[in-house]
Amino acid sequence: MTITDRIPDTPLLDRARSNAGYALNKMAMGLSTPAGRAAFLADEDSYLDRFALSPAQRAAVKARDWAEMVRLGGNLFYILKISAVDPTPIRAIGAAQAGLSLEDFLDQRLGKVTNG
Amino acid sequence: MAELLAGLGTSHVPSIAAALDKGLRDSDEWKPFFDGYIPAQDWVRAHKPDIAVVIFNDHGNSFFLDRIPTLALGVAEEYQPADEGWGPRAVPNFIGASDFAWHLADQMVAGHFDPMICRELDVDHGLQVPMELVFGRPAAWPVKIVPILVNTIQYPIPTPQRMWELGQLLRRAIASYPTDEKIIVLGTGGLSHQLQGARAGYINPDADRAWIAKIGADPARYRAMSREDYIAEFGSEGAELIMWLVMRGCMDDSVRTLHQHYFAPASMTGAGMVLLENMG
Repeated sequence: MTITDRIPDTPLLDRARSNAGYALNKMAMGLSTPAGRAAFLADEDSYLDRFALSPAQRAAVKARDWAEMVRLGGNLFYILKISAVDPTPIRAIGAAQAGLSLEDFLDQRLGKVTNG
Repeated sequence: MAELLAGLGTSHVPSIAAALDKGLRDSDEWKPFFDGYIPAQDWVRAHKPDIAVVIFNDHGNSFFLDRIPTLALGVAEEYQPADEGWGPRAVPNFIGASDFAWHLADQMVAGHFDPMICRELDVDHGLQVPMELVFGRPAAWPVKIVPILVNTIQYPIPTPQRMWELGQLLRRAIASYPTDEKIIVLGTGGLSHQLQGARAGYINPDADRAWIAKIGADPARYRAMSREDYIAEFGSEGAELIMWLVMRGCMDDSVRTLHQHYFAPASMTGAGMVLLENMG
């Protein structure tokens, strides 16, 4: 699967990516109910079996590899629900995608700003 | 006839809700952000709107990708906070202004906008946070609401020009509504931020400050920009700013900027607000 983005490093949820990521995002959407979250926490593999994830998508979920989940069609608004079950700060997810340490991410991407 | 009291643009960052829920309102990190809203809150409280029309995007909470309405309109009597993964937040249910909402539905379809009409709808932080930023955390909300939901997640998203035209239609719907109710229009989202991809963490405070300064007085450039322009300048999720154009488009050409505020970063987002009043 090759997806060319018009704006570099900016994966929009377009037709190709929405198709590629549908099962992954649907799996994550299932975590928006107490029953889904309980099932995920009780037996993650069994929960993931309910969805038609590709082996690579499944491995990315298991590894909490946020950059890879997005590369495989995951959209943050859905896969963030994994971070509600397995707590991960949004800034850490951002840093992982940027390929930076959290400290460098905060400094380089979010630091050079002023308030007022 | 109903009256357009004011237009207000504001961010709806979920970390704002989390900060409130965790009691961090007056922390060093958050106090300057929240304090910047106080003058606008005071103005709104003094002017007593009856209805808030809130334009926002669902963030994969009420709509999944199995069916994504490009535009949706709530006509419900009541809306509950959505479960975004942590359980529904402890904010009061929102009471719908369903009479005005049905009037707006009539006006939209007659005017060739064709929204999905929602009778049962949970509302996520995209609506909750603006309501909390404008009205605080009351036991009951002091206004009824009309939610207008815009798809800004799955492409194609609607164009900025279409958002402006929706604002013009909303203006006519308010002007033709035969009550003396006062309506405030909340355009929400942004400012610059990007959550997805290797460009995650992109913010653009200079562009944000220009937006805050000009969206009232000189919005022509923002009205003319393409979707790609928004993504390039404000980040992939910063493109939510197109929803402020509904608010701006429903107002007079000449408006007074009553209050403005900018703060960055709120979590990973440039955050802020403007409160606009028609010159009259």
